[in-house]
Amino acid sequence: MKTVKVTINVNNEKIKLQVKPYETLLETLRERLALTGAKEACSLGSCGSCTVLLNGTPVRSCLILTPEVDGASITTIEGLKEDGKLHPLQEAFMEKGAVQCGFCTSGMIMTAKGLLNRNKKPSRAEIIKSISSNICRCTGYKKIVEAVEEASKKMA
Amino acid sequence: MILPKFEYKKARTIEEALEIYSQYNGEAFYLAGGTDLVPLLKHRLFNPKVVIDIKGIEELKTITKKGGNLLVGPNATLYELKGTPEIQEKLPCLFQSLDATSCETLQMRGTIGGNIMQNTRCLQYNKSLEWRTARGFCYKMGGKTCNVVLNAKACYSNYCGDNAPSLMTVDAKARIVGPTGERTIKVEKLFSGDGKEPFTVKPGEILKGIIIPLKETKGAYEKLTVRGSIDYPLVGVAVTIKDGSAKVGVTGIGPCPRVYELKEVNEKEINNIADKAYEDAKPVLNAVLTPAYRKKMVGVLIKRAFKRIEKGGSR
Repeated sequence: MKTVKVTINVNNEKIKLQVKPYETLLETLRERLALTGAKEACSLGSCGSCTVLLNGTPVRSCLILTPEVDGASITTIEGLKEDGKLHPLQEAFMEKGAVQCGFCTSGMIMTAKGLLNRNKKPSRAEIIKSISSNICRCTGYKKIVEAVEEASKKMA
Repeated sequence: MILPKFEYKKARTIEEALEIYSQYNGEAFYLAGGTDLVPLLKHRLFNPKVVIDIKGIEELKTITKKGGNLLVGPNATLYELKGTPEIQEKLPCLFQSLDATSCETLQMRGTIGGNIMQNTRCLQYNKSLEWRTARGFCYKMGGKTCNVVLNAKACYSNYCGDNAPSLMTVDAKARIVGPTGERTIKVEKLFSGDGKEPFTVKPGEILKGIIIPLKETKGAYEKLTVRGSIDYPLVGVAVTIKDGSAKVGVTGIGPCPRVYELKEVNEKEINNIADKAYEDAKPVLNAVLTPAYRKKMVGVLIKRAFKRIEKGGSR
């Protein structure tokens, strides 16, 4: 089967790839680019653990074909840190203890980043609504919501 | 989960998309948001030779106001549509159903066209190939009988779109374009009522636009789910009141959404319609709640929706 040429900007790095036409963005990130921060859990778009930012908007990378995002820019959890310093969201998740097993964490942080991109000061209700795009089976969400609140305060 | 093998083509115009569709003799799927299509492909429910990406077609993604109507391109995302001031101000029922669809992240990717045209669902159908092979193929997959209602030569899968019933209550129309030309039909005419082939669109046809009349309405959307988000309706009820009369749309039970009309809005009429919708609902054991409960909730949700409209939208 013919491969498809794509050029994508991943974490501010322009990358040219030859991918399978039926390859998902999650497969490309994890298996070709070794960016294993985005996790595969349900693989059907229900859980949100594969969330990455596509041109600043959170998307489920397991539901997107890599050929679809030719020319787009992708941000994964690995691309959040700046100058070797963790992003305020990552710090807040650590400080608030918003992590238990950690499998949902990268998806949660990317969803929260998407929210903060479009709304600098989200209310608690808005955070809960946004975070409800992702499933966490350990923490009960309380600390995750607190961490996002904390990060939005720090970033203001 | 790995996708089956297919080719990927990107269409820039509707003509190009139709052309590719015919080149592959119809063994093709149109891809917009992919939030419904990709899981179906991963489950091997369809094995197309090619997937035609229609996201690049500009005329399919615009939202414009024209002559008292809102013309919505089917590739507009649910999130974009939810943020449209005209919908927020005039069509509360549609706004609420858009808001209730899945979750924010999927609303940002999923399109209104794809949401309307999503395939019907069933606990026995939306499963992996291995699971379905072990169980034996059901009627919808090409087997002899239904796996839920034993020996039935019919499909009882549920249409789980949140927004089609709302669009039906606001008298929206759909414009369809295909190899044989263009036509405009009421949204309710998109549905065949047959779970095996839930839509009346012919092979290769593309939903080109949705025409929504912009009139002052009151409305509400009520949805029965087991989770707060990322869930299909186990029953969904859309109610729109306009000029003293009302329309009620019911989704989530059976292969197509149904619509009812109330000439006047009063308690007697509301109870009549709630009873009628209860009678018409024929749920079977193919969703995560029992059929008896889902059937009962149809009437309950209709009354609840009217009550909420009366209170000015609050619960």
